[in-house]
Amino acid sequence: MHILMLSCLKATELIEKRFHVKLSFKERLQLRMHLMMCEKCTRYEKQSAFLEKGIQNLANTHFHTENLDELKLKITKKLEDLNEK
Amino acid sequence: MPDVMTTSNLSETMKNWVELYADSLYSWTFHKTSNKETAEDLVQETFLAAVQSFEKYKGESNPKTWLFSILNHKIIDFYRKKSSNPITLENDNASVFFDNDEGWKDEKAPKDWQEDDASLLDNEDFNAVLQKCLDALPEKWSMSVKLKYLLGKDNEDICQELGITTTNFWQIVHRAKLQLRNCIENNWFNN
Repeated sequence: MHILMLSCLKATELIEKRFHVKLSFKERLQLRMHLMMCEKCTRYEKQSAFLEKGIQNLANTHFHTENLDELKLKITKKLEDLNEK
Repeated sequence: MPDVMTTSNLSETMKNWVELYADSLYSWTFHKTSNKETAEDLVQETFLAAVQSFEKYKGESNPKTWLFSILNHKIIDFYRKKSSNPITLENDNASVFFDNDEGWKDEKAPKDWQEDDASLLDNEDFNAVLQKCLDALPEKWSMSVKLKYLLGKDNEDICQELGITTTNFWQIVHRAKLQLRNCIENNWFNN
């Protein structure tokens, strides 16, 4: 196999890695070559980037609407008990 | 300073902090653990730990920042206890998606999603499907995906905490992503 040829498995691994660390020169070159020729992995790259945003978006949205008064009371009570000891 | 004085001050401060910060501590924990009871327990433990180590807090940092740093340790401890065996690639699912030459299998290759623009991220139904697909991941995988988003933790720290190598970590994230993408495609874009 040519040194610059990546399999789709390896290419998608590099796509995931690239979200978080800088790839080496060789890896960047390999990935670019692969994506030029591979429609499926190009699609994967786009969709995975989209999901990445989606997960981050979920983590940032605080959409809980629960009433936490009960929990607060419970904790305050525990803290008082602690102080009395 | 008389003891009584200190105690009542401390207890007033804590009461105040519970009022002010319990909500944000809770919603953060809920997102990291996806479990109501766990989130409640960890928030409670955080305040108890705060009382016990109050001497270490000298008002140098924002109380919220300090509480969050205690909490984040608790969350990581929680996951570490859960994964008493190191995370591995057991049940590697790569062969579900790729053939022997490591090329995409036709039926598992990414299809055209057409409407994957940013506006979809505001769609509540879509977010519900995304959450469901995240929850459906094998526990150890979702753990590595979730831990990735813990504030201020870089990847090497996470790997160290979980006792895995960085290479292994990327592969686990990759496999989790394969499964997640497939789940979203089947449950949202194909409907």
